[in-house]
Amino acid sequence: MADSTNKSVYDIFLSMEKGPAQTSSTATAKAWLDHHSQALGLFINGKFVRPADRPSCLLLDSKGGSVCSIVCAVEDDISQCASSAVNGFKSWSSRTCYQRAQVLLKLVSILGMHGKCVSELCEASCSPSALVRLLQYYSSWAQLRDILITNWRPLGVVAVVASDDCSLYPLYCKVLPALAMGNSVIVVPGQCTAPAALLLAQLFTGAGLPSGALNVVTRSDFSLCAKVAQNPSISYVTYIGNKEDGVMLCKATAGMGVPVSVSPYIGALCPLIIFESADIDSAVDGVIDAAFKTKKEVHWVLFVQDSVLDSVVARLRLRMGGLKCVDLRHDADRALVETAVQEAEQQGAMVIQSCSAPPSGAVYPPTLLCGTAPSSPCVVWPSSGPLLPVMSFRSNTEAVTLANHSPHGKSVSIWTEDLTLALETAKNLSFGSVWVNCHSVSDPCLPVCGQKDSGNCTDGGQEGLYQFLKLPSSSSPLPRSSPLSMDYTKFGTGTFPVIIPEYSDQANASKSYLQFVGGKACKSVSGCSLSVQPPGGSGVLAYCPDGGRKDVRNAVEAAIKVQSGWIKKGPTAHAQSLYSLAKGLEAKRQDFVMSVSIQTGLSMDEAEKEVELSIARLSDWASYCDKIQGGTLPMPKSGSAYTLPEALGVVGVILPDKNPLLSMVTVLGAAIATGNAIVMVPSQKYPLPALDFIQVLQVSDLPAGLVNVISGGKDQLTVALANHSVIKAIWYWGSAEGCQYLQYTCTTPLKTLCLFCQNDEEEEKDWTHPSLLEEMWRNAVQWKSVWIPTA
Amino acid sequence: MSCRNPGTQFYQEHISKVRVNAEAVLERAKQIQGQMNLKKHWQTAWLLKAITCIDLTTLAGDDTTSNVRRLCLKAIQPVRYDLLKKIDMHDKGITTAAVCVYPSRVADAVVLLKSATNSLPVASVATGFPAGQTPMEARLQEVRMAVADGATEIDVVINRTLALTGKWEAMYDELRQFREACGEAHMKTILAVGELGTFTNVYKASMVAMMAGSDFIKTSTGKEAVNATYAVAIVMARAIRNYYMCTGHKVGFKPAGGIRTAQESLIWLSLIKEELGNDWLSPHLFRLGASSLLSDIERQVYHNVTGQYAAYNELPMA
Repeated sequence: MADSTNKSVYDIFLSMEKGPAQTSSTATAKAWLDHHSQALGLFINGKFVRPADRPSCLLLDSKGGSVCSIVCAVEDDISQCASSAVNGFKSWSSRTCYQRAQVLLKLVSILGMHGKCVSELCEASCSPSALVRLLQYYSSWAQLRDILITNWRPLGVVAVVASDDCSLYPLYCKVLPALAMGNSVIVVPGQCTAPAALLLAQLFTGAGLPSGALNVVTRSDFSLCAKVAQNPSISYVTYIGNKEDGVMLCKATAGMGVPVSVSPYIGALCPLIIFESADIDSAVDGVIDAAFKTKKEVHWVLFVQDSVLDSVVARLRLRMGGLKCVDLRHDADRALVETAVQEAEQQGAMVIQSCSAPPSGAVYPPTLLCGTAPSSPCVVWPSSGPLLPVMSFRSNTEAVTLANHSPHGKSVSIWTEDLTLALETAKNLSFGSVWVNCHSVSDPCLPVCGQKDSGNCTDGGQEGLYQFLKLPSSSSPLPRSSPLSMDYTKFGTGTFPVIIPEYSDQANASKSYLQFVGGKACKSVSGCSLSVQPPGGSGVLAYCPDGGRKDVRNAVEAAIKVQSGWIKKGPTAHAQSLYSLAKGLEAKRQDFVMSVSIQTGLSMDEAEKEVELSIARLSDWASYCDKIQGGTLPMPKSGSAYTLPEALGVVGVILPDKNPLLSMVTVLGAAIATGNAIVMVPSQKYPLPALDFIQVLQVSDLPAGLVNVISGGKDQLTVALANHSVIKAIWYWGSAEGCQYLQYTCTTPLKTLCLFCQNDEEEEKDWTHPSLLEEMWRNAVQWKSVWIPTA
Repeated sequence: MSCRNPGTQFYQEHISKVRVNAEAVLERAKQIQGQMNLKKHWQTAWLLKAITCIDLTTLAGDDTTSNVRRLCLKAIQPVRYDLLKKIDMHDKGITTAAVCVYPSRVADAVVLLKSATNSLPVASVATGFPAGQTPMEARLQEVRMAVADGATEIDVVINRTLALTGKWEAMYDELRQFREACGEAHMKTILAVGELGTFTNVYKASMVAMMAGSDFIKTSTGKEAVNATYAVAIVMARAIRNYYMCTGHKVGFKPAGGIRTAQESLIWLSLIKEELGNDWLSPHLFRLGASSLLSDIERQVYHNVTGQYAAYNELPMA
């Protein structure tokens, strides 16, 4: 390289090289770091603080040069930060929507002056224009919050946590909506993002953000994030980054009583599908552009239709000819990448490289691995280098099956000029983002909602705002607590005392109830029963089946079989079925009034009221069926973007004790109105109204298996639901211990959890309040965004 | 120009399944424009390369011997000798690739370039340029006469009527006849992309032109409303690439019309490098059809060499 600057004009004229890459200047960033003596403090309460005696951590840039040092926060810093954030929330949330919007807009103009410094600090991984777009988008949401999202209120203090490999832009995709909705935010950035995040916090304060509304805590070790989450002032923790740290965070925060959602987008496996009807040359350009980036955040895998496989590979080979070696992240990666290539070769893959690999060093040439299979190690455990596995498929349906057959569900790129095929494929793919004839397009108006193992929250768009909002009517679901020391392997293994009734009077013999699995009323697989006690009293009111792991397995199997057919029936059929449930309940109104009254000890009047409300609630859900919809999105580029609410799949529910009938139909309606199948466990204390409801289900036209009711020991069934990977979401009303168990367990694969700790009747959800319907259906769907660019 | 494109039979399958996604092509064009960032003597070298690829053109109703003469002399010495000397390029044969004139002016240009003892080729437009709406026999005769007058490159225009009505095989037959009439002279086929309607048609027309034995495919006559855009160039370059993959023959590419600035010429070179590779970065396979471009490049070279911005009157006119 040394002599490249001395090349004569004639040399270049002959070789037509492009010259050395422009090394971007870092002068402004350096000046800012110099101003801080290359040692950045924490950003708390609107200013930098450097507490004495804190360990510090030296940051290096991608070339190994030292950038600056950051403070590794300790628990004292966190509590100081949290109390500042509480005050910050008070002043920030009391401002008007207009005032908040103005602060975000002010930052846009400040970025006009200092954006270059921000971008230099994060080594150009985030362009100022991308940040400006984010700010403008969320400033308008800040302005319109009370007009377009009426009744919803900010949560309080939100912690936004990122892993080390997460860059600034995705971090700010969470920070800005949280702020725009009126929350105060504590950011715990990854190490490399720390300087830029600190500078942005400073600039934000300059734009008029009140002190404490945005604090930045830096760290060396990821375990600090759990300590931040532990602080009782924090209402919500949201994470973005790689999967491993996300799981670690979930496990570490289990039982703290704080909801945690994760967006583990980094390292996700994303299919790129080329159909024979594609513009093959554009698709090949797209592949080259997507797959061989230096800093790749996702792993691509290429699926090509058989009929065009040869021509795609031939074009790729030709286009790759000009590509240079790509920098790897660490020297150690080199060996891993080489092993992956060798393994693929041994399994018969054809290896195509742009140039031969240099003998050593942390670089590797872009490499195609043609003829790999879904079981190949390079597909199952993709390595970080510029490797692209290529597989072929025979038909359009097979493409969808192959792509869906993976635990990842972040995003997918499909290439076809056939509109019908594009839309059908987009609908059938289980991925949160579908890019048609393009790839890696992101914009704050496009919701990103990873399916399956790729996340349990929605970021972006209006849908992404709700994670930072709550309804005033919904009480805080989880009380803050310290995690119980519990043995997760022992949870739910206890047995119940058997009560043998006195058969004094044959006529008065307690009734035996059945549960409802796969459309059939049946006993539990074990054949055992549990006794149901009358309210407050001793004795036996009735017997219900003691369901367990195998009952759950059978129910889930039946549920998943019919769920896709249920979605296909469409909203009108869904509505009809729900109306028929309402009618069925109406027809047996008196029986249910008795059942509720006997079970719960409520007066007949109160029981009557609950049945009345339950009938109305089912009608509410029937009406909702064709009102829950996505929409088109205002992308700043030319093309069509839309969102679709999609069913989660099979939802597992542990029902609350309170209002056993009303709560059951509310939950049931929310799940099936949005296209889900459901496995419900009635309250262990008051199971009878739910078990009576089986008669209504039996005469309804619901597909057999869509709704399942399994009674039995709550903890035992919680364990069974938690350990079935087909179940995508669990709604749980129960003990703190159960909540902690679920938070700890439902991480691989990731489930969406809605947890409500019920402590002795008081302060529980008001099931009569109509506003909970919106909250419920939002919990029952995941969002898919589809982007089709057109000229 | 050693190996010419002999052409192939008319293969329907080369054009029947063609799909071009307009937005993807436009994005790619944006991406290529964004990548351009050459500094100092890299820029100078690339600008000189651009000069050697220029078909210095005059195609006006008022062309006479005198302005064709000026054009030819400028083509031989496109950049001031003293400037080239400073960067040691004065003896590296920096001339434009050819001069391009109407058929009636071919004789003038040939005589002049011969008297200047220079081997610079003379290109002539033909076949009813620019509309191509004249009888086939007249178009063929035009080609033959231009060749007889000494033109070694003929820029023919395609029959847009045939392209727009999807009569690709008929278009192939016409071009085949043109090619025959050209004889030893190289055939550059002008697709008039501004009148083809879609990128898909541009791709198909490119393929047909290459199958018929064109040595170059050229974007426009410079007389249509839309001329050489980067997006169209990407589509044509892909066709060239795919034709090369199928047959092993390299066909040249010539954007023309509306290329006026030095910066644009650099983007063109960069686009060719990205899409087709370094092999195409030579006058054998790449031409820029332009008239006013040269003076802007010369000013930019002047700036790169001296650090000053030249007044127009400091550089000899064409």
